[in-house]
Amino acid sequence: MTQPVIELADLHVKIGKREILRGLNLELRGLTVGLLGPNGAGKSTLINTLLGFWKPTSGTARVLGYDVRTDARQIRAQIGYMPENDSFISDMSAISYVRMAAELSGLPPDAALERAHESLFYVGLGEARYRKLGAYSLGMKQMAKLAQAIVHGPKLVILDEPTNGLDPQARIRMIKLIQEMRALGTMNLVICSHLLRDIEETCEEAVILKGGQIVHYSNLEAERASNRRFIEIETEGDDGTFADAIEHLGCACAVTAPGRIKTVLPEGIEVRDIYRLAADRDVQLRRLNFRRDSLEDIFLKAMEK
Amino acid sequence: MAVYKRTYRGYSGPVTNPMWRFSVLQRYAFKAVFRSRFMLIGFVACFIAPLLCMCLLYLNQNATVLALVGQKAGFLKVDARWFLNLLTFQGVLAGLLTAFVGPTLVAPDLANGALPMYLSRPFSRAEYILGKGMVLGTLIASITLVPLLICFGIQSSLLGFNWFDKNLYLATGIVLSCAVLMAVFILLGLAMSAFVRWRLVAGALILAVFAAGKGFGAVINNVMRSDSGYYLDLQYLLSTIAANLFQHPVEDDPITPVKAWIAVLVFCGLLLLLINRKLRVCEVAG
Repeated sequence: MTQPVIELADLHVKIGKREILRGLNLELRGLTVGLLGPNGAGKSTLINTLLGFWKPTSGTARVLGYDVRTDARQIRAQIGYMPENDSFISDMSAISYVRMAAELSGLPPDAALERAHESLFYVGLGEARYRKLGAYSLGMKQMAKLAQAIVHGPKLVILDEPTNGLDPQARIRMIKLIQEMRALGTMNLVICSHLLRDIEETCEEAVILKGGQIVHYSNLEAERASNRRFIEIETEGDDGTFADAIEHLGCACAVTAPGRIKTVLPEGIEVRDIYRLAADRDVQLRRLNFRRDSLEDIFLKAMEK
Repeated sequence: MAVYKRTYRGYSGPVTNPMWRFSVLQRYAFKAVFRSRFMLIGFVACFIAPLLCMCLLYLNQNATVLALVGQKAGFLKVDARWFLNLLTFQGVLAGLLTAFVGPTLVAPDLANGALPMYLSRPFSRAEYILGKGMVLGTLIASITLVPLLICFGIQSSLLGFNWFDKNLYLATGIVLSCAVLMAVFILLGLAMSAFVRWRLVAGALILAVFAAGKGFGAVINNVMRSDSGYYLDLQYLLSTIAANLFQHPVEDDPITPVKAWIAVLVFCGLLLLLINRKLRVCEVAG
C-alpha cells in the first residue's frame, strides 16, 4: 500500500484562544484531493499547518511521511504552494520571480533558470515571461503563482483557490492544466476551493470541513463508479409491467410514480438490455439518466450534519 | 530540452547548501538596488571622503610632497579623534543609504503578499531577515568598516609596527563601532520597510527617527531640566558608544557608555519586535 500523502491523527490547532481545527483524523492517498468547506471551516488553517506555519496544539499531522512539528523544512522542500491571495513582487519579471523561487527551494542558479523557463512555458506564460508581474492580468498572475509552485519539481502541490477571480476562459485553462498535472502522475495535488465544480472536475477525493471538523470524506472516483450503475427511467406506454420485466432481468427496482422507475444495474446487465426490453415491450423511454449525486448534493448534505 | 516544448518534468538534480540559501535573496536584492542609476552614483559618492582621507594619510608621510607645500611630516594628527570623525561622516552617509535602500527591501514583498512564496519553501523567517539584512549590512560595511580599516592599514604601513601595535585598539574600535552601526541601521531599515509599505514614507521615517529623536530629546531635556532626553537621541547614543570604543570619551558626558549601550539594545529589541510582528505569513482575524 502506498504511503499516505497526508495523515492527520486527532489534530487540534489553536490560534490565540480559539480552537480552529478540532480533532481531525484522516489519511489521504489520492493523487488529487479537494478541500472544501464554507468560510471559517478551517481550510486555510489546515493548509498553513501542513506547511508548518502553525504548530499543532495536540495530535499529529504528517505530510509525505514527515511530521509537521519537527520536519517542516523537509516538508517544504517537497511541497509547492500556490497561495490564494496575491503573492508576487510587482517590479520583478516573471522569469526572475520564478527563478528566484526555484533557487530558494535549493536549485542551483543555472538549473533554476532553465526550469523557470520550462515552468512558465508549461503554464502558458512563455511569451510573457520577460514582462513585469505588476503588468500581468489576474489570470496571468494566477498562472505565474502556479509556475513558482511547480518550478522545483515538488512531490505535493497545494493550490489554494486556483481559479479565484478568473474569467470563464482562464478558469477552463487552469482546470485543464490541473487535469494535465494529475495525468502526469508525478505529483500529488491538494486543491482548496469554494467552487464545487472545480473540485468535481479535478479531484479523486474530497474532504469537507465545517467548524474545524471533517464532516464528510468522499472518494469521488468510487462514487462516480457507483453512480454509473444507478439509473432513473421515465416511460410512456407502460402498462405497469415494465418494472416487473426489469426485475426479471435481475435488477433491484422501485416505481416512484406512474411511469417513473429507479433501478440499480447489477454486474452483467448493461443499459442496452433496458433499451432492448423496452423495444420488445413497445415501451417508450422518455428519459434515462444515470443518477448523478453531484458534489453539490454531497456538500449540502454534509453542511446539514 | 528546448524551452518551447510545453512539458513538465520533476527535478532530481543537485541542491544548494541550505546554510547559504539566504544569499539568494541578497543577490536578487542587490540587482534591484543597483538598477537605479541614482543609487549607483550615490553609492560611489560615499567613497569620496575615504579616498581623500587615504590620500591625505599618504601625503602626510610623503617628504617630497610635504617639502613642496612647506609642511612637516605628520602635520595631520592621525589618532582616535581623526578616525572617529571619519566614522561619524561615513555614518551619516550610511544613514542616508539606509533611508534610500531600506524601504526597497521588505516593503515590495509585503505590498503584494510575497511572504508565503518565500516561507513555503525550505527557507525560514530568520533566513529571510538575514538575507535582506545582509544587503544593507554589505552596503554599510563597504562605506564604513572597509574604508576605515584600509585607512588604518595605510597608516600602519607608513608608520611601521610600533604605531600599529600602539594603536591596535583603534582597529578594534573601528570593527565594533561599525558592527553596532550596522546592526542598528539594518534593524531600523528592515523595521521601517516592514512597518510602512510606501517607500518614500518609510525612507522619511528612517531619517525622522534620528531627527525626531534628537528634537524630542532636546525638548525633554529643556522642559524637564534633565538628561533623560538623550536616551531618545539615537545619533548621540551611537556617538557615545563609538567614542567609548575608540577610548576617546567625552568629558562631562551626561549619559555613560553603559547607559548608552542599554538604550541602544532596548531600541534594537523594539525594532526586532516590530519586525517579528510584521513579517508573518498568516494573519488571523478575530
